[in-house]
Amino acid sequence: MTTMQRSAVTKRRSTTEIEQSTPEWQKRLTSETAARVTALLAFVVIWVVMSWLFSRVPGPVEVGERLVDEFSRGEVFGNFGMTLYRFFIGVGLATVVGIAVGVVMGLSQLSRAFLESPVLVGLSIPAIIWSFLTVMWFGFGDMSPIITTFLTAVPFVVINVAQGVRGVSRDLRDMSETYNVPFGRRVRHLVLPAVTGYVAAGVRFAIIMGWNGVLLAEWFGGGGGVGYRARFWYDANRYGGFAAWVVLFVGFIVILDRFVLDRAIQRSFRWRDSR
Amino acid sequence: MAVLTVQNLSKTFNLGTARESRVLDDISFEVKGQTFVSIVGPSGCGKSTLLNIISGVEEHTSGDISLTSDAGGPARMGYVFQDPRLLPWRSVMQNMMYVQDDQSPATVSRAKEYLDMVGLAKNADFFPGQLSGGMQQRVGIARAFAVEPDLLLMDEPFSHLDAITARGLREQLQDIWAQSKKTVVFVTHDVVEAVELSDRIIVLQPGGLIYEDITIDLPRPRRQTDKNVATLQAEVLARLEKLKAMSVAEPVA
Repeated sequence: MTTMQRSAVTKRRSTTEIEQSTPEWQKRLTSETAARVTALLAFVVIWVVMSWLFSRVPGPVEVGERLVDEFSRGEVFGNFGMTLYRFFIGVGLATVVGIAVGVVMGLSQLSRAFLESPVLVGLSIPAIIWSFLTVMWFGFGDMSPIITTFLTAVPFVVINVAQGVRGVSRDLRDMSETYNVPFGRRVRHLVLPAVTGYVAAGVRFAIIMGWNGVLLAEWFGGGGGVGYRARFWYDANRYGGFAAWVVLFVGFIVILDRFVLDRAIQRSFRWRDSR
Repeated sequence: MAVLTVQNLSKTFNLGTARESRVLDDISFEVKGQTFVSIVGPSGCGKSTLLNIISGVEEHTSGDISLTSDAGGPARMGYVFQDPRLLPWRSVMQNMMYVQDDQSPATVSRAKEYLDMVGLAKNADFFPGQLSGGMQQRVGIARAFAVEPDLLLMDEPFSHLDAITARGLREQLQDIWAQSKKTVVFVTHDVVEAVELSDRIIVLQPGGLIYEDITIDLPRPRRQTDKNVATLQAEVLARLEKLKAMSVAEPVA
């Protein structure tokens, strides 16, 4: 009697083979774009359902109509432009000051000991408190939203950049030390590129926290702007108008993040993609 | 000519709670200009620490180090590390220029010259991540020579490379050194490499003492296949075996 031995052969397919054998519709369905579109659709569906269930939740159509009304009244460009002006000055200042302070905090132990507590206090103060304080200090106008945005955003940039600077490779720092590379050149070519990811994370936080700050300051003390108009409709018990302004600004933040910040980050990391 | 003088140098690491580890113990030696000196010895005998102290990256506990420069101003040092230590986000050429004192066109062309010497002139615009490990180390070598150092320090620069790449780089290093005649202190645990490259070998023993100072008087360029090189390598290796046997019999605390 003979016995037959059966051996199992497992063939692993190459990526080219997988690529060629996958139907086009499946590729599209499993793409990143499809995932993003699905998330957006899911959000809209949940929104619509919520507006059916609760009378105080304005649906997308109503919000769209209110937005068109605001455009036709000529309210959008003036108020939106005013908020953008305040927002970009506040976030811009927070980014510049935050990077400078973060670099110093990351490089020097003494400055870290000096600045760590104030930065932690800054982190723990919510935007709403800053908005109250700045309205009391600076009154109604541009100053209070700008300062609120700056104060809300700057600790996030500082803490991220300082963390990044502390993480700069010891080997590369030693190499720079050995060759006596001047301080300015070290900051420009070693420290700043090494902390790009941390700066990006800090700026992202700054944008998110900053827009909270600007809207709250305008809500409580602004003579115009997105926050002011949102409050106008809120006080009038017209939630559609209120939501229209919020959607407008959220949409702007998403576009800013996706098309400006994301691309800038990708560009600054092109050395990593070259591997 | 640049002269490196090390006098009564000691280095002790404080391990906390009154425990200390002496890595270098009162060592003295002098390296005259245009000399290629290798420091060899078993792991942990303080070779890399010695180099880091000379370069200024680490502090020494006692003793003196002085380096006279060729030009009379502050002495210039180049350092080739075990790993290339290149800025990954800067191109090869930008890495070369990062360590240069001045950024003049003359310096740029000198940097290009050294890149050419290591065969990487065409890769000047590449990022380090686009180069192999051996190519990156060649950039590290070109960078160190391009600063026109009074003293060039090299810390086991070929230890992370495969044998064939390392041999090619050793030959290339000999050629560049023959042209530039820089004063070099080269740390290695590889006796074969030390004999092939050096005019002199200082053998350190565990505990950071100088065990032996050997002069290598062989014509250059040297290749591993040369009979005289091979004989001397065997001889130095035998002396190190003796040191190893002594260290095992009388371990140094």
